[in-house]
Amino acid sequence: MSPSRNPALAMAALDDQVLAIPEGAAPPWWGRAIACTASVTALGFALMAWTVYRGIGVWGNTSPVFWAFDIINFVFWVGIGHAGTLISAILLLFRQGWRDAIARFAEAMTIFAVICAGIFPLLHVGRPWLAFWLFPYPNQRDLWPNFRSPLVWDVFAVGTYFTVSLLFWYVGLVPDLASLRERARPGWRRGLYTLLSLGWRGSATQWAAFGKAYVLLAGLATALVISVHSVVSFDFAVSIVPGWHMTLFPPYFVVGAIFAGFAMVILVLSVAREALGLQAILTWDHLDAMAKVVLGMSCLMGYAYLMEGFTAWYAQDAHLARAFGNAVTGQYGWTGILTLACNVAVPQLLWRRAWRRSYRVLLPVALAVTVGMWFERFVIIVVNLHQDYLPSSSRPYVPTWVDLGILAGSFGLFFTLVLLFVRFLPIVATSELKARGDHA
Amino acid sequence: MREAPPLLRTPPGPPQPPLTHPWGACGLFEDPGALVEAARRLRGRGPLEAYAPHEVHGLQEALGRKAPPLAAMVLGMAILGAAAGFMLAWWTTAIGYPLKVGGKPEGSWVPLLPVVFEVTVLFAAGTAALGMLFVLCGLPAFGHPMLATRAMTAITRDRYALSLEGDPGACAQALREAGATGVEAVHLACHAPKPMITLAAAGAGAALAGLLAFTLVKAYPELRPMVRMERQPRVGPQAPSRFFADGRAMRLPVAGTVARGHMPSGATTEAEAQHHLNPLVPTPAVLAEGRAAFTERCAVCHGALGDGRGSLGRAYGAAPADLHTDRLRSVPDGHLWWVIRKGRNAMPGHEADLEGTRVWALVHYVRALQRSRHALDSDLPEGNP
Repeated sequence: MSPSRNPALAMAALDDQVLAIPEGAAPPWWGRAIACTASVTALGFALMAWTVYRGIGVWGNTSPVFWAFDIINFVFWVGIGHAGTLISAILLLFRQGWRDAIARFAEAMTIFAVICAGIFPLLHVGRPWLAFWLFPYPNQRDLWPNFRSPLVWDVFAVGTYFTVSLLFWYVGLVPDLASLRERARPGWRRGLYTLLSLGWRGSATQWAAFGKAYVLLAGLATALVISVHSVVSFDFAVSIVPGWHMTLFPPYFVVGAIFAGFAMVILVLSVAREALGLQAILTWDHLDAMAKVVLGMSCLMGYAYLMEGFTAWYAQDAHLARAFGNAVTGQYGWTGILTLACNVAVPQLLWRRAWRRSYRVLLPVALAVTVGMWFERFVIIVVNLHQDYLPSSSRPYVPTWVDLGILAGSFGLFFTLVLLFVRFLPIVATSELKARGDHA
Repeated sequence: MREAPPLLRTPPGPPQPPLTHPWGACGLFEDPGALVEAARRLRGRGPLEAYAPHEVHGLQEALGRKAPPLAAMVLGMAILGAAAGFMLAWWTTAIGYPLKVGGKPEGSWVPLLPVVFEVTVLFAAGTAALGMLFVLCGLPAFGHPMLATRAMTAITRDRYALSLEGDPGACAQALREAGATGVEAVHLACHAPKPMITLAAAGAGAALAGLLAFTLVKAYPELRPMVRMERQPRVGPQAPSRFFADGRAMRLPVAGTVARGHMPSGATTEAEAQHHLNPLVPTPAVLAEGRAAFTERCAVCHGALGDGRGSLGRAYGAAPADLHTDRLRSVPDGHLWWVIRKGRNAMPGHEADLEGTRVWALVHYVRALQRSRHALDSDLPEGNP
C-alpha cells in the first residue's frame, strides 16, 4: 500500500478519533450547550402547544398575509437541508473526494433541517391532528386531494425527500454502527448499536450490495433534491400573486437552498471540528471548498435578483413593478436591502483565499448568509402578499412574540438534534474514508 | 505478522457454551491484496466468504461472484412507482373525484407529473436502500456465527478476513496455509439472538401504547384539542332562554311579517278548509313526493296501503283510520289537507314538518291509494288485455 498521506486517516486512528466520541464521557461544554438548546426547544414547543390550543390567531398572520412565519420558516429549513444532499449525493457522483469527510455531518443536518421544516406546514394547517387529510386514501367524506395543486405536490415532494434522506443517511451509518457495536462494552449502548447495525458483518457480498446501493441512492437523491425545492417554489410560482408568478422561481429557489445550506454547514462544522478536536479530519481544505461553493452561489443569487428586476421591467406590468419596488423601498424596504447586502455583497469577501481560511471572516459571512436567506423568504412571502391587486386588500404584517418564539424554538430543535448526533453517532463516515486508501 | 490490535472489549473466551455446533473457521489478513489472493487460492474449498472494513474492488470477482442485481430491482420498482403514482393521481382527478381546474380537461396529465416523479423516486430509493439491506445483505442477521468471533472486532476496525464453512480443524488448517493469522474456530449458537427478542418486545410495546391512546381518546372525547366550536355558549334544544324576557329560545316572527317561503294558507277554520282545492297537478313527480311523505310520516300507523293496519297503531292499541272508507273517499281534498296539518284524535298535526305544498302532494297520494282499491275499468291503460 502507498505510504499514508495523512496519518490521522489511517484506519485504526480514524476509529480512535471518530468512534471514541460517542464512547467517552460527555465533555463539559456538551451538557451546557444542550441545556441551552433544549430550553429554547422547550419554549418553542410550549408556544406550538399554545398555537394548537388557541388556534393560529395567536400568530401575526392576517388578511391578505395568510402565509407568514410558518411558510418562511418552512422554506428556510427545507433549503438548509439541501446542502446535505448536495454534498452527499451530487458531489459523490462528481467524484469530489473531499466530500467524504463532511458528508455524514451534512446528511445529518439535512434530516434535522427537514424535521424542523416539517413542523411548520403541520402548524400552518391549523389542526395538525387532521393533517392526514392531505394524503389520498378512500375516506367516509368521499373527498380526494387535488393532484393539480402545488400544495399537494409539496406533500409528496417533502415526504419523499425526508424518507429518502433518512434512508440514505441510515444506509451509510450501518457499517459505522457495526464498528461502534464491536468497540462498545456490554451495556445499553452495545445493545442499541447492535440493534441499529442490524448484524452487519462487512462480508464481501454485503459490501458489493452496499456500494451499488450507495451510488444508486446518490443518483436518485440528486434528481430528488433538484425537484424538491422546485416544487416548493411552485407553491409560489403557480399562483397569480404579483412577484410570485415567475418562471425564474424553480432554479432561483434551488440555488438559494444550496447557498443557505452550505453557510449553515460551515457554521456548524466549524464549531464541531474545534469542539471535538477533529481538525485533522475536517480540515481547512473542506471549509475552503465549501466557502467557494457559497461564493459561487452568491453570484448566482445576485444574477437571480437582477433577473427579477429585469422581469419586473420587461413585463411592463404595474402590479409586478410595484411588488418589486416594495421589496427595496417603503415600509419593508429594509428587509430587501438587508437581503441584498447579506446574500450578494458580504459573500464577495470570500474571493480572497486567506479570508476563506480564517474563522474571523468565514463565520461572520456564513452567519450573514443565514440571516440574509431567512429575510429573502420574508421578502418573497410577506412583502409580496401584503399588497394585492386590489387597493382594499393591502394590510401590513407584524409578527407576534409567538411567531418569534416558534422560530427560535426551531433553531433550538435543530441544534439540540445536532448535539445529540455528535454525542451518540459517528459524525464522520469512517467506512467511506477507509475505502479511500489514504491509510497505511 | 503483527499481533491483532488491542481490543476495547474483552474477547470472549474459547466458545464452549453448551448449545452450539461447529460452523467453520476464520482468519485475518493485513491488507486487501493478501485477502484477494487468499480468496483466489481457497475458492472451491467450500463455502467461502471474505470480510473487510470497507468495499474492496475485485473481491467479488476473486470469490467468483456476479454483481448483485440491485440496479435491475431499482429499475423495476421505479417503473412500478411511476405507474402507481400516475394511476393514483390520474384516477383521482379524472374518475374518482373529477375537478375542473383552469378549464383543462379532467384527464389532463401534465400537472400530475410532479407527483408521479416523487412517487417514482420514493419507490426506487426505497428499493435501493431496503432491498440492499434486507434482501441482498440478508439483514437483520443478529445470530450469524461470525458476529461472535474475535475477528469481527478487527474486521470492523482495520483488518480483512476470510471464513470457510466446514469442519473447524480442517478449515483452520486451510486458512493458515493461505496466509491467515489469528485463525479461530467459529461456532453457531443455537438460541434466538437477543436483539430479535428486543425488537419483538418493542413492537408489542408500541402496539399496546397505540391501543391505549386510542381507547383513551374514545373513552374521553374531551381529550381532543380545540373543541371550542362544539362547546360554545348556546341554547340547547328545548332549553329556555335566559336572555329574552319571555324565556323563548326560538323566536316568533315579528308581528305582521311572513317568512320567505312560508306563505300562510289562508284557512283559519276547518269549515273554511273544506273549500280549498289542491293546487298541484298529480304528475309522477308529485305522486313520488307524496309517496315519500306518506312512507315517512303516515305508513307506520295507517299502513303502507292506507288500510289502518300499521305496525305502530296495533302495538299501542290505537285505531288509525282506514283511508278506504266511503266517508274518507267522499270528503273534499281540503278536508284531508286540514286533518293532516292539524291532526285528529290521537294523530298529531304535521303542519310543522311538512312544508310548503308537500301536504298537497300527500293528499294526491292518498287519493291514488284510495283509487287503487276502487279502480274502474276505464282506469286500465288502452290495449291492456
